[in-house]
Amino acid sequence: MLFRGKIRVEDFEAAAMPHLNDLYRSASLLTQNSSEAEDLVQEVYLEAWKSFHRFELGTNCRAWLFKILFHRLHHLRRRLIKASKVEAFASPGAEDNVMAEPPVPQEIRDDDILQALEKVPLEFREVVLMADVEEFSYKEIADTLKIPLGTVMSRLSRARELLREELAEVAKAYGIPPRTKEASEG
Amino acid sequence: MNVLSFGSRQCERIRRQLDAYLSNELLVETTGEVLKHLESCQACSRELETRTRVREALRSAAAKRLPPENLNEAIHQRLKRTQPGLAWAFGAPAWTLALAALALILIAGAAGQQWLRLQRGKEIVARVLALGVSDHSHCAIKGHNYPEVAHSPDQLRQQLGPQYAGLLPVVEGKLSGFQVLEAHICSVPGSPRKYVHFIARGQGTILSVILTKREGESLPSGRFLVAGAPGGVALYKGQLEGFSVAGFQAQDYFVFLVSDLGQNQVLQIASVLGPALRDAAESIVSARTLGPERTRRALSLAVKRLS
Repeated sequence: MLFRGKIRVEDFEAAAMPHLNDLYRSASLLTQNSSEAEDLVQEVYLEAWKSFHRFELGTNCRAWLFKILFHRLHHLRRRLIKASKVEAFASPGAEDNVMAEPPVPQEIRDDDILQALEKVPLEFREVVLMADVEEFSYKEIADTLKIPLGTVMSRLSRARELLREELAEVAKAYGIPPRTKEASEG
Repeated sequence: MNVLSFGSRQCERIRRQLDAYLSNELLVETTGEVLKHLESCQACSRELETRTRVREALRSAAAKRLPPENLNEAIHQRLKRTQPGLAWAFGAPAWTLALAALALILIAGAAGQQWLRLQRGKEIVARVLALGVSDHSHCAIKGHNYPEVAHSPDQLRQQLGPQYAGLLPVVEGKLSGFQVLEAHICSVPGSPRKYVHFIARGQGTILSVILTKREGESLPSGRFLVAGAPGGVALYKGQLEGFSVAGFQAQDYFVFLVSDLGQNQVLQIASVLGPALRDAAESIVSARTLGPERTRRALSLAVKRLS
């Protein structure tokens, strides 16, 4: 790593800085606080810079930065609050032979969906953000969050369901009646 | 919450697959099964439609959450403050640096020097090729900035502007088996660098042809780094962020081909496109010094070489 000071700065710029928008977007949707998100992203870049000697050029820098982001976020969360119980939001069992199908407004405003997202617990929100917004694969999500692949799948499924339930509340507020069984199956 | 019971066990089974289907994580055969069911089941089709709508709404709303303008600057300020202590091996204790320096002196010989040059050369190639990959990833893949049906050549020329419109026939003429859907000037968020970006569809996927100014940078010479040199164009290849990339340099521009095709396929396409596009890219340079008439002639010459 010697005699590489200048090159490393340029390498870092080229590999890491293009992902600033993605990191901030996720940080702000996870923390729900713009100044906390800014601090978090700054911390991510500082940490990435310090660890850049361990990063292999040409590999997926974006996934690496997100790994740091979630590591920092979970560290902060552990210090601040006890994580909410995942079990409390467990999906209905398959044996129930039922499926939630909450109504969703035809036109979903940005504010509505972001407010709905805010109400989804962090464990689920981070998975749906990674899959649906940042478009990481299940495997990348499992690696980043250090959870099994099956947990990624079940949390994503539940997260999307919770998001729809929250949007159903929005629909209710708009005066859209809940779907009847007949209407749903029609 | 409204709860719905399913009469059809198949509907129930398919709906359990819809999440993975939406995330493009199903096996090909399962995808076929889901699609077949959706063709004949309106209720499941509507369910997929709703789930897709929610996901697209989330993606679209989230995309508008941009960082404040000063965040990039703030990060750089903090990095600069950390720099003095990190310039050498990132804050390693002084004795480890001394040992490392001593070790380096001991091994410094022809082989050591060559190894250092090789490593440095590889790093520069990876860094330069990453420019093309980041633009392809942001613009074509994540931004999906291309139409399903190709824009007309007139529109593409208009989007490229007079400086780059002459590249269009070269790219179209040499990308055999591909159709150019889109051509424009774009940039990656957070960077002032501009890219001339062609997006073509073929061989079951999309491929980007990207030009960006070298800004004084060069790909290193050295035969070990060159993947091939058809028509005198030295091609460099890499696999970055899941994409195959082939690159070369013209007088004032880097040129990249990026796709999720195999590395050899991309290299093969680059070797066909390379010579003509390099000549055309060098005509762009002439535009500033030769004036429009001679530039037009230089471009005509490049296009003639296509036939």
